[in-house]
Amino acid sequence: MPARGLVTRDLRVAVQDTEILKGIDLTVEPGQVHALMGPNGSGKSTLAFAMAGHPGYNVTGGSVTLDGEELLGLPPDKRARAGLFLSFQYPAAIPGVSVANFLRSARQAVRSGDLSPAKFRALVFEKLDTLDMDPAFLGRYVNDGFSGGEKKRLEMLQMAIIAPKYAILDETDSGLDVDALQAVARAAVALRESDDGRHMGFLVITHYPRILRYLPADVVHVMIDGRIAKTGGPDLAERIEREGYDVIRDEVATARA
Amino acid sequence: MPSGTAADFATIPFGPDAATLEEALELIAEAGLEGAADAHLRREALELYATLPPPGARPRRGWRYDYGKLNYDDLVWTTGRSQPQTQSEAPVAAAEGDLPALATENAGGLFHLGATLVEPGERTARDERVIVLPLADARLRYPDLIAEHLGSIADWRGDRFAALATAFENCGAFVYVPDGVVVEAPIQLVWANSPARDEAVFPHILVVLGAGAQATVIERHIGGGDPFVCGLVEVHAGERARLDYVTVQQAGEGARVFFRRAARCTRESLVRWNLAELGSALARTVLNAHLGAEGARCETAALFFTTGFAHVDLTTATDHAVGPTFSDTAVRSAANDRGQGRYVGDIVIRPRAHGSDASLRDDALLLSAHAHIDTVPALEIAANDVKAFHGATVGSLDEDALFYVLSRGIPKNEALRMVTLGFFEPVITRFPGEALRDEIRTALDAKIDEATEDA
Repeated sequence: MPARGLVTRDLRVAVQDTEILKGIDLTVEPGQVHALMGPNGSGKSTLAFAMAGHPGYNVTGGSVTLDGEELLGLPPDKRARAGLFLSFQYPAAIPGVSVANFLRSARQAVRSGDLSPAKFRALVFEKLDTLDMDPAFLGRYVNDGFSGGEKKRLEMLQMAIIAPKYAILDETDSGLDVDALQAVARAAVALRESDDGRHMGFLVITHYPRILRYLPADVVHVMIDGRIAKTGGPDLAERIEREGYDVIRDEVATARA
Repeated sequence: MPSGTAADFATIPFGPDAATLEEALELIAEAGLEGAADAHLRREALELYATLPPPGARPRRGWRYDYGKLNYDDLVWTTGRSQPQTQSEAPVAAAEGDLPALATENAGGLFHLGATLVEPGERTARDERVIVLPLADARLRYPDLIAEHLGSIADWRGDRFAALATAFENCGAFVYVPDGVVVEAPIQLVWANSPARDEAVFPHILVVLGAGAQATVIERHIGGGDPFVCGLVEVHAGERARLDYVTVQQAGEGARVFFRRAARCTRESLVRWNLAELGSALARTVLNAHLGAEGARCETAALFFTTGFAHVDLTTATDHAVGPTFSDTAVRSAANDRGQGRYVGDIVIRPRAHGSDASLRDDALLLSAHAHIDTVPALEIAANDVKAFHGATVGSLDEDALFYVLSRGIPKNEALRMVTLGFFEPVITRFPGEALRDEIRTALDAKIDEATEDA
């Protein structure tokens, strides 16, 4: 039964014959922020790539729906046009393509012709300002020679310009200093407070609760070994910071035993 | 037009075998054309053509093209002197319609249909001090300038096709910019082929810039049909002169286009070779620069895109004869379908070229499993304390980049177009003028579209 939200049901994903995700159930409702935490190698990025449709990730079972529309089987561009956005942990460089052109093409692809060139320009400058980005960025080639912080800001700039229905932020906060982290979070918060983003849902993949101080999570999940080991409220993130993943791992093992 | 009457117009069948070529040369000599190349020189050139080996007789690695099997069937050679009666104005108009850049402001130029000059003016440069003339007229009016430079810059005696071009020269241009004169708008030299007749066209272009002179020359090849175009371009850059020499080759799908272009760079002069090979079934180009005096510089930006069954064979050869001299070469190429490409980049730094700086970078993009590009950069350094860099890559499209673009909602065709066009961009940006750069982007775009439609 199709539900509103970004929903995975018993999602199973393999990479080169090794099962990485072993049945993931998640429901990010419109307007909600879900945090997905977990140790390295637990499958968080695999989930992000599989949902976005990366050809290297082989979905072996389950479903991913966006407001009721099945995404599995759709190519990545159609998933994006359905309303999904992935902020990459390691964004690729597109040499020779300017940020300005790329933003215009992306907005055009997802929301064809909804803004006049003047309004589009105003939107870009407004978002640049929110992110503390120099307009000179627009003339640079996408991610080409960008620092880690610049890449993450550009991911957020794209998210703000596209204004998707759901965004997966794959470790957008990692490797950022406090200023960059605040700018990134500010962009997400500003989007949620705008008309375009009021109903936007977020799946925030992170190691650290600090981003959640700026972008508070409604629900926190902990992924261990390809499964959602525990789901809770914002306090779960704080607990993980204090106690680490091993405590959760032990709890889950004890509960199963 | 000093030498242009209907009476001296002639067409000569241009045959595949040596006997036919000899015969053609005799007929040309008998025509006694004013301002034409010297008959003895033509004969010497034809003999050289017969003895010189075809380029790349020993194919390197995957590159395959047997120049020995080139045929010249069903071509005609014309004197290039007057409007052929068989041709209407229509092809000219059509060709002009295809030329957005000609509609833009330019500083004068020459337009050829086949080898024949269309609407020649008495003086074809807008600036009184600048000369833009058909080569035959220039031979008559400026014999000293022609004698000083023509044939002495390009090593046509060592190149089979440059020798052929010398033997059968039937059109050409002389561009002269005197000392200190700066020509802002480009001077355009256009060769269009009419699909109505396949011609053998042998242009010889000479560009001479005086001390401190500046100009942009754009050489274009357009039109349909299956012409054979084989030419020679010679450039002399006086002290501190600055020349942008642009070639946009968009000849028809059946065309074969051969050129040897050579620059003589004197003290503190700058020559920029900008080359875009975007048409023809077969294109062979040699870009030569002789850096013969202190401070001379040559910057080369070349790109080609070969699709279908087309072949592109490009050589750049830069000679640092003395030091310090400077060169910077950037080549980007792509091949799709069964397109074949070869790039040979030679840099020679001679014993007296101390303090020189040479950089060569070429990148090739293969867009299909059957496409092939060889790149052969070669540095030969005989001087100390020089800076020399060369780097080459051959690869397919970056899958991570492609996925990234797709993930932003951009459809696959558009994403491929974007990434491919982006690949060429670092070389496109080195072409002079936004109008020209946009024109090249548009032309590449059309080639990519053809490719993605087939995909």
